Amino acid sequence: MLRIDGVSRSFGGVYAVRDVSLGVAEGEAHGVIGPNGAGKSTLFNLITGHLAAERGTISFDGVRVDRMPPHRRAALGVSIVFQGARVFHGMTVRENVMVGAHSRTRAGFAAAALRLPRHRREEREIAERADRELARVGLTEWAGHPAGSLPFGRQRAMQLARALCAGPRLLLLDEPASGLRAGEREALAVLVEELRATGLTIMLIEHDVAFVARLVDRVTVLDLGRIIAQGTPERIRSEPAVVSAYLGEST
Amino acid sequence: MKRALPGVLAGAVTLALPAFLDDSALAVYIFLGLAAMVTVGVSLLMGYAGQVSLGQGAFYAVGAYTAGLLTVQGGPPLAGLLAAPVAAAAFALVVGVPLLRLRGHHLAFATLATQLILLSLAGQLEFTGGDIGLQGIPQFSAGSFEVGGAAGYAYLTWAGLALVMLVTRNVIASRAGRGLRALATSETAAASSGVPVGRYKLAVFSLSAAFAGLAGGIYAFYVGYVAPGSFPVLLSVEYIVMAVVGGLGTVWGAVAGAAVITLLVQVLNVVGTLPGMPSYAPGVLSYAVYALVLIVVVLFLPRGLVPSVAGRLPARRGRSRPRAARPDPDLRT
Ligand SMILES: Nc1ncnc2c1ncn2[C@@H]1O[C@H](COP(=O)(O)OP(=O)(O)O)[C@@H](O)[C@H]1O
Ligand SMILES: [Mg+2]
Repeated sequence: MLRIDGVSRSFGGVYAVRDVSLGVAEGEAHGVIGPNGAGKSTLFNLITGHLAAERGTISFDGVRVDRMPPHRRAALGVSIVFQGARVFHGMTVRENVMVGAHSRTRAGFAAAALRLPRHRREEREIAERADRELARVGLTEWAGHPAGSLPFGRQRAMQLARALCAGPRLLLLDEPASGLRAGEREALAVLVEELRATGLTIMLIEHDVAFVARLVDRVTVLDLGRIIAQGTPERIRSEPAVVSAYLGEST
Repeated sequence: MKRALPGVLAGAVTLALPAFLDDSALAVYIFLGLAAMVTVGVSLLMGYAGQVSLGQGAFYAVGAYTAGLLTVQGGPPLAGLLAAPVAAAAFALVVGVPLLRLRGHHLAFATLATQLILLSLAGQLEFTGGDIGLQGIPQFSAGSFEVGGAAGYAYLTWAGLALVMLVTRNVIASRAGRGLRALATSETAAASSGVPVGRYKLAVFSLSAAFAGLAGGIYAFYVGYVAPGSFPVLLSVEYIVMAVVGGLGTVWGAVAGAAVITLLVQVLNVVGTLPGMPSYAPGVLSYAVYALVLIVVVLFLPRGLVPSVAGRLPARRGRSRPRAARPDPDLRT
């Protein structure tokens, strides 16, 4: 489904991602691990289109996407939950999640200004959809609250609901568990497992190796922008290069 | 129903007022409405979509010149009035493509420069009448209906304002409006939700320009002439002051801000021209008042008049309605 081929990206002459190739099959849950600054978030930004690749190609469902702007990739079904909270201020929790449905709906400025029936129907559908996703992440009773007033963990959950509201085909999660309390982490893990069971393709960046191992089929290990290992979680854990570059350091 | 009450009340007062006002008071009433029309656009652009424009006066001028140019040679005034917002929006679309790549104060300066360039062009070109401008713009009429007196222009102005407010309210609460409010806080996150950020910024820029253009068109018919001197840069500053004072990102705030500033300037003009006042008093007083009002509002009512007052009413608390976005800088590209 996702095919990354020889992709590189540097900042000021230093490679953040260097000659990375990897494929993610439909329905696969793929973990990306590596020490801080390894290039994990940069890799995600290259997939979503927020950063342009200097070399290499990226295709999604057989379509070259590496020159597409982010909103067109979103329309193809690429959704991301960014590292840290990305809350749209001045909007309620429900409205934040409704933004997620942008690419699967059509009504524009004119339809809105004129309150066309088509637009009203669509608004109702979007709100219902948003409420379903809010229920899925356990935020139903927060729907009408200003999004900025949510505690951090709930802001992350809201972002996940926003990403899901797009009806994604590929869901990118950048350290979704960081900063969460134990109970919230567990709820997140259960949700990711549920999503996996529905056949959704997922890429997951995470620091906590045990957390990733439980949730994914395959893992890619990045260090200094390069792939240093790839395989099932079990294999990765015993890989000497990984142990020295990453596991050894973090424990 | 309760929600509609303030609107209905405001509508009734708006309709009744012209009957009680003399011509000089009607002039204030009309200029207030025209300023409010532009300010609603500023509030939409700055308060909701997070984009700055110090050039709304330019779009006002484009609307006024369009209406004037189309009608001084005998064109139908209705066509002139309809063309005014269209021309302003089209102009915004053209200048917006390069300008909207800029952000914050860069965008502010670039829009300000646009107005300066436009004014100097209008002062140089033959077909716009140079510095003298266009004279003899006919009264507004549509078919056999002709607007003669100031009361007619007052109704035209406030009908235009009602339309602008309705469109703004509808847009804000829609999919498009959510896209705008989202990109105001984070263009990155908005884009990854599928919002075409560049196109949306251009659309809201043009929409706010259309509002200013419509106001400019009505202005041209009411005053009967337009010249570069009618559209000083201070006008653009004034709209921003009005929007900030009333409360950025509220539709009613824009109207309240326009009303407060317009009336205040009137009062100061009266005070400034009292016997015994020096000749520079009116000018100094009106500049001083912008500064003072802005400082007082920013210090004591940072959210602006309408949100601050509404926030104190218990019935309104907790009800969530679309509010202005608080932009926070994107941490990554
Ligand atoms: N927008 C950017 N500008 C400059 N340098 C960046 C930018 N984004 C990432 N980097 C650099 O690229 C490297 C990889 O960063 P990142 O992908 O965020 O790592 P990770 O997510 O694995 O912690 C780091 O050295 C970081 O400083
Ligand atoms: Mg990262």
